[in-house]
Amino acid sequence: MPFPPTIAKALSRLGGRAVRDRAERLAFSDAGHGYDRFGMHPDFVAVGDALVSPLYDHYFRVKSYGSEHIPAEGPAILAGNHSGTLPLDGAMLFLDVLRHTNPPRVARPVADYFVLALPVVSTFFARSGVVGGSRGNARALLESGELLMIFPEGVPGIGKPFSDRYQLQEWTKGHCELAIRHGAPIVPVGIVGAEEQMPQLARFRAPKGSPLPYIPIPLTLIPFPVRYHIHYGAPIPLHEEFTPDQADDPAVVSEAAARVKAAVQALLDKGLSERKGIFR
Amino acid sequence: MISVLVTGAHTPTGQRLVHSLVADTRVRHVLAVDRTPPPEAPPRLASRLRTMQVDLTKSRKVRELLFGPARDLGVEVMVHLGQQGDARARGRRVHKANVDALRSMLDLADRHPTIRRVVVRSFAVVYRVSMDLPTLVTEDHPLNLAPSAAQYVRDRVEADLTACTRMGLVKAEIVVLRCAEAMAPGTGSQLYDYLRAPVAFRPMGFDPMVNVATVDDLVAAIEGATHGSGEGVFNIPGFDTLPLSAAAHKWGTRMLPMPGPLVQPLYNMRHRLVGSSFSYGLNRHRMHFGLVLDGTRAKHELGYVPRHPVHWPHGRAARAPLPTADDANGRRSS
Repeated sequence: MPFPPTIAKALSRLGGRAVRDRAERLAFSDAGHGYDRFGMHPDFVAVGDALVSPLYDHYFRVKSYGSEHIPAEGPAILAGNHSGTLPLDGAMLFLDVLRHTNPPRVARPVADYFVLALPVVSTFFARSGVVGGSRGNARALLESGELLMIFPEGVPGIGKPFSDRYQLQEWTKGHCELAIRHGAPIVPVGIVGAEEQMPQLARFRAPKGSPLPYIPIPLTLIPFPVRYHIHYGAPIPLHEEFTPDQADDPAVVSEAAARVKAAVQALLDKGLSERKGIFR
Repeated sequence: MISVLVTGAHTPTGQRLVHSLVADTRVRHVLAVDRTPPPEAPPRLASRLRTMQVDLTKSRKVRELLFGPARDLGVEVMVHLGQQGDARARGRRVHKANVDALRSMLDLADRHPTIRRVVVRSFAVVYRVSMDLPTLVTEDHPLNLAPSAAQYVRDRVEADLTACTRMGLVKAEIVVLRCAEAMAPGTGSQLYDYLRAPVAFRPMGFDPMVNVATVDDLVAAIEGATHGSGEGVFNIPGFDTLPLSAAAHKWGTRMLPMPGPLVQPLYNMRHRLVGSSFSYGLNRHRMHFGLVLDGTRAKHELGYVPRHPVHWPHGRAARAPLPTADDANGRRSS
């Protein structure tokens, strides 16, 4: 890591007392040296908190609805729409969960593999709670009672053209399989605002050897100061309806994924109908 | 009361295991075998300990060992620790020591009159490390079968698979222990060799998680498997899980991040100049993506929990990990 936890702690103080307070009350499973088994460290979570807070409070002016649906403990999966060229929706959701849970919970973002190959970024993300999107990592976290943040649209979601905004792309099913197998409720999340933050004009194929999936060409170099509205829906208790063995049944998993997708789409539709404008 | 045959008995892990077994009242005799001459056994142990110098690369010698002294002592459990530790050693003879010796022993154990259990020490290095694979590694994790892998890795994978493929097919129960690296000299630990240098290079921007063990914990796991029943493959993690940079700091090694493509040439040069046995090529993926063994199966089936933190010369020892969900649910944690 470019800097040790002591410097992370000092940096996080720049975020104010609330940031430190959240870091000290964080629900966290220490593997012995202050890090969890995946490399998360509370002081780096606090640095992330301090860095994202100004964006959350002043730039994107995030409004949160239905955060009481986030389970206070136990395994759970947040499944939401993904968009905006840069993964700022993940950062806003990360902080929103941190601020609206008591004790603060880290929604562990499950990132695409290419993120792990990015120098510095991969390490800072790992310290902040991000894990690689392998089934084994997700399984281990759910078995430890952690909260996962999954964007089933993946890279096609974040790279969707402006004309497709708020239209969910191909919805992967792995999160439902995990939820059924490991007894985790799925909390649908609709993020309104991010889909307009950075319209993409074009995208180019990434150079050979680059870990990036593509090179985006956005309309602007910095995102528009759109207002984020994060809507949480009621948890979908798939594990109460299905037995863990049914996680292997493609029909069951497909039907469950369709339900989660419909729930997210409903939250988006509601959020869009209620908002008064892109910047309001 | 059982009698135990230990191969690789003069390695650091082997020596500690032999002493522990000799002191164990459940053990009648220990037959300690190595290709190097036996050190002088302490007199108080001599009556229950027999040491032999045997070259296990010769199948005739293996046969004479198992159907000679081992049969005479009524050896019931065979513990195999006799792999070559030097990561840069290569060639046919090394392969014989790493793989063929184990194969011969397993073949002979099938028709041996007294051996009923074989414990094979394997290594975490058998696992493939890649960005699209989990950081926390369970026993069903893919193995490193890359043809480009070094002989050190290929031999270990082959030995591991040789033992695994015989499970259920031979009379004896087979237990494979995939152990974390021990932070001790002479154990073949690449991480120990890496951190032993005053300056260690790592690829800039990456700081993977590592899990390290102590010889005491490895011995405890092997003893648990020696006295246990049933067969299978088990990960044996160590007590300490931490980022590579934190391990270096606690070990007192200065860590120098370098652009990725420069690290391998630097280590090659270091090897030529000072003969370091650390091989960056062997560890390149692990220096980027990390690997932490998940010991849940060993905990539940062998009762193994790492209890001995590494003695870090320049840092505080690890705190005991917080109770897991399993512990909270009242599952066996021994």
